[in-house]
Amino acid sequence: MASIIDIKDECALHVRDFEFTYKGAPAPSLKKVTMPIAKHSITALIGPSGCGKTTLLRSFNRMHDLYPGNTYNGEIEFEGRNILGAKEDLIHLRTKIGMIFQKPTAFPMSIFDNVAYGMRLQGIKNKTELRDRVEKALQDAAIWKEVSDRLKNDANGLSGGQQQRLCIARAIAVEPEVLLFDEPTSALDPISTQGIEKLVIELKEKVSIIIVTHNMQQAARVSDYTGFMYLGELIELGHTEELFVTPKEKLTQEYITGKFG
Amino acid sequence: MTAVQKRVLINKIVLGLSTLSAIIAIAFLFWILGVLVMKGVGALNWDIFIFEGSPPGYAESGLKHALVGQLILVSLATFIGVPFGILAGTYLSEYGKNSKLAHAIRDISDIMMSAPSIVIGAFVYAIVVMPMGHFSAWAGAIALAIIMIPIILRTTDDMLQLVPGTLREAAFALGAPKYKVIMDVVYRGAKAGILTGVLLGIARVGGETAPLLFTSFNDNFFTTDLNEAMPSLTVTMFNYAISPYEDWQQLGWAAAFILSMFILGLNIVGRLILFAGKRK
Repeated sequence: MASIIDIKDECALHVRDFEFTYKGAPAPSLKKVTMPIAKHSITALIGPSGCGKTTLLRSFNRMHDLYPGNTYNGEIEFEGRNILGAKEDLIHLRTKIGMIFQKPTAFPMSIFDNVAYGMRLQGIKNKTELRDRVEKALQDAAIWKEVSDRLKNDANGLSGGQQQRLCIARAIAVEPEVLLFDEPTSALDPISTQGIEKLVIELKEKVSIIIVTHNMQQAARVSDYTGFMYLGELIELGHTEELFVTPKEKLTQEYITGKFG
Repeated sequence: MTAVQKRVLINKIVLGLSTLSAIIAIAFLFWILGVLVMKGVGALNWDIFIFEGSPPGYAESGLKHALVGQLILVSLATFIGVPFGILAGTYLSEYGKNSKLAHAIRDISDIMMSAPSIVIGAFVYAIVVMPMGHFSAWAGAIALAIIMIPIILRTTDDMLQLVPGTLREAAFALGAPKYKVIMDVVYRGAKAGILTGVLLGIARVGGETAPLLFTSFNDNFFTTDLNEAMPSLTVTMFNYAISPYEDWQQLGWAAAFILSMFILGLNIVGRLILFAGKRK
C-alpha cells in the first residue's frame, strides 16, 4: 500500500479517494489518490511519463472541464468545500488556484496588458491600482528590472525565460492561494531554469505551490514535499529529503535510483 | 543508351515541358494585364470621376455612377457578410469543433464557394427582387454577401484553429469566461489572418457580374438610393464594352482597368498582412 505522510501543518488542499477518468477511457487514469497539500510550501509530483501527475495537477483548477466527457470522483477539498461539485464556480476557483504551463503562454498583447489581464477580468479599472499591482507582480516575479522601460511592448518579443516569468507575474497578480506549475522549465535553458526555480522558492511565502516535474533533481532542489506517482497511483508522499534519501516504498527507491523511468 | 542516361533524358524532357507550360500560362496573364494597362491607362482621365453616364456621343460622360455604385454595393455586402462570416467561423473553431454539425457546415461552405455565382444571383432574385417587385442595391449586396460568407467563414475557422490551445487554457486558468478568451486572446492571435480573409473575400466579390445582373441590375445615372437599381463597374463594363460606340468602349476599358487595380490591390494587401503576421 501507498505510504502517505500525515502533514501536521495547515493544508491548502486535501485530496481524498480521488479518481479521474478521461472521456471514453475504460479505466480511470487516477486511482484512489489521497494526499494532503501543505500550505505555504512546495509539493513536487514526480513519476514516469503517463503516470498521471499532470492529470492530477490539472484537476486542481478543473482544467479538464474545458473538454467535455471527463469524470471526477472522490473529493478535493479547498477552503472547506469539495471543488469537484457540479455547482463549483470555476471562474472563481481559477482565480484562487492559478496555473503556469510547460510552454510560456504570453498573450498577443503588451507586457502591461498581459499582467493586468487577470485583474481586469475581476473588474479592476482604476489605472493607479492596475499600475501599482502590475509593477508589484513583475517585481515579485523578478522581471521588473528587465521590462520596466518597455511595458507597452509586445510580450512576444521577450525571451522564453522572460515570458515564463511574465506568465508567473500574470498568475500572481490576481493573488491566488495556490499556484500549479506544469513542468515550467522543460522548455527553458539552464540559466532561465535556475531563475524560475529561485522564484518558485521565493513565492512559497505567499502561495502554496504544486509543481509537476520530469526532473528529479529539480524536485529535490525546490520542494518541501514530494509525491511519487506510478500508473495513476500515488505510491509515496513524504518530506523531500526523506523521500529521496530513505524512500519507504520499493518502487520509489527503484525510480529515484534510475532502475526505470 | 544506358538506363541512367534514359532516366536523365526523360527527366530533361519532363522538366522542359513543365517549364514551357508554366511560361505559357503566365504569358497569358501578362498578355491580359498588358492589354488592360495599355488600353485602360489611355482611357483614363478626370472626366471619368466627375461625370456620370450619358448617351453615346456626349462629351461629358464618365463612370462616377458606376464607381460610387460599386463602392456602395461592395461596402454593403461587406457589412452584411463580414459579421456573419466571422461569427460562423468562430462557432466552427471554438464551439462546433469536430461535431457533425460543424463538419456539415464546413462541407456546405466549401460547396458554396464553388457554386456558380449566377445561381446565387437567381436565388436572390427569387427571394428578394420578386417580393420587392423591383431591382435594388440591397438585393445586389445580399447576393455578394452570400458569395463572401463562405470564404470569410473558412479563413476565420482555419486562422482561429492556428491559435495554440495552450493560449486558450492559459486565459481560462486566469478565470476568464469563454467569450472573453475568444475576444481577448483568440481573436488577437488570429487578427492578421482574419483580416486577410476579409480582404480576399471582398476582392472575390468585387469582380462579380453575374449575380448583379439579377439583383442590383444597372443604371446609367448616379444614385445612392439603396431601394433602386444601382450601377456597378462590372455590369457597366459589360454594357459599354459590347456597345458599338467608340466612347462607351473607351469607358469600358477604363472601368476594367480601375476594377482590376482595385482587386489586385486588395489581394496584395491581404497577402502582405498574412506574411507579416506569419513572420512574427
